[in-house]
Amino acid sequence: MDKTKILVVDDNPTIRKGLNVRLRANGYEVLFAEDAISATAALVTERPDLVILDLGLPCGDGFVVMERLQKNDRLANIPVIVLTGRELAGNRDRALQAGAAAFFQKPVEDGNLLFAIRKALDLSRGELRFDE
Amino acid sequence: MTKTTRSTSELPAYLSHELRNALACIQQFGSILVDGLAGELSGEQREYLGIMLENASKIRRVLDSALDGTDGSLEERTNKIERVPKLET
Repeated sequence: MDKTKILVVDDNPTIRKGLNVRLRANGYEVLFAEDAISATAALVTERPDLVILDLGLPCGDGFVVMERLQKNDRLANIPVIVLTGRELAGNRDRALQAGAAAFFQKPVEDGNLLFAIRKALDLSRGELRFDE
Repeated sequence: MTKTTRSTSELPAYLSHELRNALACIQQFGSILVDGLAGELSGEQREYLGIMLENASKIRRVLDSALDGTDGSLEERTNKIERVPKLET
């Protein structure tokens, strides 16, 4: 069975490296993009199972990436977890309204991020059902 | 824009981005070490790293309070998935 593929989009190489270690240790395959353009390209070519997305990016921000993702029927159901250094005000609600499955400010506890990843993947695969 | 000309109104956004990213790196690699993902640690090394991580968490709570007016709890720092209705059994 193929490993679950996570695309990490962040312009900070140290953040990418740390997430790579943590996610690989938990059995995920990890891909990277460092700006909005390469993130969009990776979404199309790699079709990851989930995206961890920073908001402050070169060549367009994380909102641009989410907008492009939502406009593509083949990609719109890929869950996005926003992980950003930006302030809550003006970013949290906007990200959730733009379709993010979860929003975290950096730094995030590893357990909380891994929990959100599992939940988002389960939801996107239709493995969880909820009460009305 | 240089740091010297950055306006007061832009300061919170600048501080949030710069400090949270730096703190995230400290937390990420500290927890990688504590969890033994880069090799086994002695009990003493683990204790000292734990102290470092605890204090990194204190800085985060100060940031949360000062920049976002929250207490740093997960609920306030928000996670949409946490707020979905309860699971069917």
